[in-house]
Amino acid sequence: MADKNENSLKAIDQIRKEFEERIQTAGSTEELDAVHRDFLSKKGKISRLFGLIGKVSPEERPRVGARLNELRQHAQSLLDEKRSSFDKQAKPVEEFDPTLPGREFPFGAIHPMMQVMDEIKTIFAGMGFRIEEGPEIETDYHNFEALNIPEFHPSRAMQDTFYLPDKMVLRTHTSPVQIRTMESQKPPVRMIAPGRCFRRDTPDASHSPTFYQVEGLCVDKNVTFADLKGVVTAFAQKLFGEDIKVRFRPSFFPFTEPSAEYDFSCFCQGKGCAVCKGTGWLEISGAGMVDPAVFGFVGYDPKLYSGYAFGMGIERIAMLKYKINDIRIFYENDIRFLEQFKMVR
Amino acid sequence: MKVTLNWLKDYVDFDIPADELAHRLTMAGLEVEAYYTVDYDFSGVFVGNIVEHQSIPGSDKLSLCKVNVNNELVQVVCGAPNARKGLKSAIALPGSKVGPLDIKTADIRGQHSEGMLCSEAELGLSNRAAGIMELPPDAKIGQPIESLFAESDVVFDIAITPNRPDCLSVIGIAREIAALGGARLHKPKIELSLNAEPVSDYIDVNILNADKCFRYSGRFLKDIKIQNSPYWMARRLYLVDVRAINNVVDITNYILMETGHPLHAFDYERLEGKKIIVRTAKEKEKFTTLDEKEHILTPEDLLICDAEKPVALAGVMGGFNSEVIDSTSSVFLESAYFEPVSISRTAKNLELSTESSRRFERGADPNGTLYAMDRAAMLMQQYADATVLENTIDVYPRNVEPMNLSLTVRNTNRILGTDLHREDLETILSSIEFTITAKNDGVSVSVPTFRPDVQREIDLIEEIARLYNYDRIPTNTNPQVDLTQKSNKSSELKDYIRSVLTGLGFWETINLSLVNPQIAKPFLPEKQQFVELLNPLNTELSVFRPNMLYSLMTSVSYSRNRQFQNLRFFQVGNVAWMSPENQITEMTQIAAVITGQRKTQTWYQKPEAFDFYDIKGALFSLFDKLGVTAVKLTEAKDSFWDSTSAALSLNGRQIGAVGKLDSQVCDLFSARQDVYGFYLQFEPLFKAREKEIVFTQIPKYPSVPFDLALLVDASVPIADLEEGIWEKGGEHLIKVDLFDFYRGQQIEKNMKSVAFSLTFSSKERTLQDEYVNQVIDSILSHLRDKFGATLRPR
Repeated sequence: MADKNENSLKAIDQIRKEFEERIQTAGSTEELDAVHRDFLSKKGKISRLFGLIGKVSPEERPRVGARLNELRQHAQSLLDEKRSSFDKQAKPVEEFDPTLPGREFPFGAIHPMMQVMDEIKTIFAGMGFRIEEGPEIETDYHNFEALNIPEFHPSRAMQDTFYLPDKMVLRTHTSPVQIRTMESQKPPVRMIAPGRCFRRDTPDASHSPTFYQVEGLCVDKNVTFADLKGVVTAFAQKLFGEDIKVRFRPSFFPFTEPSAEYDFSCFCQGKGCAVCKGTGWLEISGAGMVDPAVFGFVGYDPKLYSGYAFGMGIERIAMLKYKINDIRIFYENDIRFLEQFKMVR
Repeated sequence: MKVTLNWLKDYVDFDIPADELAHRLTMAGLEVEAYYTVDYDFSGVFVGNIVEHQSIPGSDKLSLCKVNVNNELVQVVCGAPNARKGLKSAIALPGSKVGPLDIKTADIRGQHSEGMLCSEAELGLSNRAAGIMELPPDAKIGQPIESLFAESDVVFDIAITPNRPDCLSVIGIAREIAALGGARLHKPKIELSLNAEPVSDYIDVNILNADKCFRYSGRFLKDIKIQNSPYWMARRLYLVDVRAINNVVDITNYILMETGHPLHAFDYERLEGKKIIVRTAKEKEKFTTLDEKEHILTPEDLLICDAEKPVALAGVMGGFNSEVIDSTSSVFLESAYFEPVSISRTAKNLELSTESSRRFERGADPNGTLYAMDRAAMLMQQYADATVLENTIDVYPRNVEPMNLSLTVRNTNRILGTDLHREDLETILSSIEFTITAKNDGVSVSVPTFRPDVQREIDLIEEIARLYNYDRIPTNTNPQVDLTQKSNKSSELKDYIRSVLTGLGFWETINLSLVNPQIAKPFLPEKQQFVELLNPLNTELSVFRPNMLYSLMTSVSYSRNRQFQNLRFFQVGNVAWMSPENQITEMTQIAAVITGQRKTQTWYQKPEAFDFYDIKGALFSLFDKLGVTAVKLTEAKDSFWDSTSAALSLNGRQIGAVGKLDSQVCDLFSARQDVYGFYLQFEPLFKAREKEIVFTQIPKYPSVPFDLALLVDASVPIADLEEGIWEKGGEHLIKVDLFDFYRGQQIEKNMKSVAFSLTFSSKERTLQDEYVNQVIDSILSHLRDKFGATLRPR
């Protein structure tokens, strides 16, 4: 029995030697294939050695088994090593080129004007204003009457309106959202109404029959014109930078008293340029203290509460921000235009 | 409203440079939109005296004039009808420039001409072009024209807000300047020499509708000589864009600009029955205004009539039948106050907006009728030789008194956030002619009637703020904020959806909401009609969009026309339609389209076109992100889809559809390739979204996968098979994925091979093969019974 064991080990060593010689002399991948066939295939010499396990004494089996496994691994790794050295010599390795374009994932982007809108929403949300929405097809009452713009009042001529049957209109501003909000909640109110508006303007470089506005409203006890100036100034600086100054000028809107138009200082820093037409100021929009008549329509007590409202045109701001000179490009959605605004800022 | 610097200086003394004045007016609410200096270069143009005048034979218009310029006789050929011997006029000598003309010597009709006699229009001094300039007899021959008649001036173009009718006048603006500069306003004094004849011999006024005509004042003037108005007046009118016509008409216009009060002069000889009756029109009554347009009126319109017929559309425009003409010798001058809404209604209904209607509809001064009328009479006496009767007409059935208002210091500061004192209020309000009647915890004031915009305490606060200067009001950046405010989840979800869609590769577009009904027709829901504008800009933009896919298709069209092929667009926006009962439905929709290639040609892939499963995949990725799981597909009914499409239903309600757009619809937008898209209603998504996420324990025991390959009739929908699997999958089935799908030669016709990968998992134990096999058997027998599905042999 001991002999048998001894023979088995010898046989293993023998085959090992034989294999190593063959590997050493193999000069081509074809010869390596033959070595593989002769030793490692199912009927190869190494595989056949596993048949010996049955013939050795049970207590020796693990030792013989381990030797065999070791041999098989050793053979395989020598073979692989040699084969890979042939491969390297045989054909030049495909050069790794990191500059070959990667397989990108497609993405889209938010429309540039809506990016501005989103930024404005974020700024006001951070100042405690809640976003409110309302219908684009409005009642004459919410769009005009309740905003203190009676029919046949000259101020109606300030806005050219699209009319629908049954005293409905396409809202000319997002101000009706003020009314709807105040109708449904008690003060304090602190809201902005972003949205689409309509005016009967023939499309040209600065007019579009559809446009976007953000309207803001704050009503509480002791809300003052000074607060309005504060909010608009803080907004301007968050949007355009800390150097921006805001100027308020008296104006007239039926739903605010006193009313103001506000301007931002031009990016030319008062030097005067083509954008500000040499004035140093960029006209932005209107604002004011909520007219007590409006409080009358929604049942707020003007003796107790006061408030401010302000509006702004998003196109105007986006045009200033991106230096765009024709409003119509926003509505064309030219892919070459949209792609310019794909990056995250 | 245009005014000139020199004109303003007639009423207030100030010495403020034009740019500073423009700034101060703007900061007081009178926005100066533009201002410009009017200056002339008239070198070579002089006062000349026509000493000889003869017509040129063979010409009915041309004449030969010998003009004395500084003791030198110059011969010119002139075509003006008013060229005559003795007239002093402006002569431009060779080498000078008149407008675009370089003046040279020339031969006209065989006559030598050494210059040009000029009209005011040619010199750019007024609009009068009918004849050469007529200079007064005392004009000094040889004097340069510019030193005499063309003083430099500055024109201000001011945007007057609709609440300030008082500033639609030079005096009104001068009053503001007086307040801003601390100076005093001085209105011209009335000086008239009067005729004692009673006016009742000539005219009698009767107001039938005092609710529309609060006051009617008038003067009778006779012995009038119609001619050109004086040059200075024509020039001022010209600078503020009013055409000079004749002295009487120009004077009424001049006073309109000066005082803001509209006047009308009737040709008295053409008024019948010595009567003026103010009444409303009869239904469909016709009237021809002086621009020779006929209007059909309603009882809302107010008319000025004589004993027989209407002679003016009250407050808007005079009648063609009674306007002042060259032969007019007596004039009845009207100075009335008409109720604003009535005038506004008429002007709007007849689309007739005039200088007069603009002022009446904003509110003229009912107590300003007499001054305006007398100022005009004074100028007519001066420049039309008018004899003015002492008696005047003044019917004033609705007396308008100055309003008494109180303003407290507390309320002023409560609204403005200022720290003003009573003295500040007093100073500011008296500077604009408000009379302080009492001093208490603030002030009581009497508001002059030329300020109809000031009716409440808040209006006084506005005056305070405006004249105190908004710049001086503090800026408070430290307000009180309510921290309990809740955010708007609906609006946030819309933004989230937009952001998910950009992540899925879609580009956001924005399009007009107004669309072309011809093209949008297929996008209208069944049995609904368009929301149609009553006053569209044009038919292409005449209805509200009925579906967001229409908007996206216009962007596809735009891009395709520019040779862009591979497009992925989305938009969130509102659509609307109207029911047969005229009930309008407006809703927010989300829509997306894809067209062209899913894979473009690159070094690693061959091009592949988009198909239905791309848009469906994008859509369901969106649903996945929104936690909306229960969406079912049913047959799509919208007429704009191809048959490769499906409607989407959520909890039994249709919320949108997905598919390929019909090729005819694509043709309408010149897409020239397949377009796939979806649209969704926002509201049901908002309601169905997963509201809270609660953590589920990660299973401790390994899950067991099982692959199930089936052969089934090709008509059986995958979703039904999946549902069948779930029905019998037991409590431990956690996932079913379709991982293979095959139709073709390897299997029977009409059959398909589908392979699902099932995953089983339990929280309590490792599932044994016996359990899984049991479940699979029950699934298989269920699928066999329900769909005839069999296990596909390996």
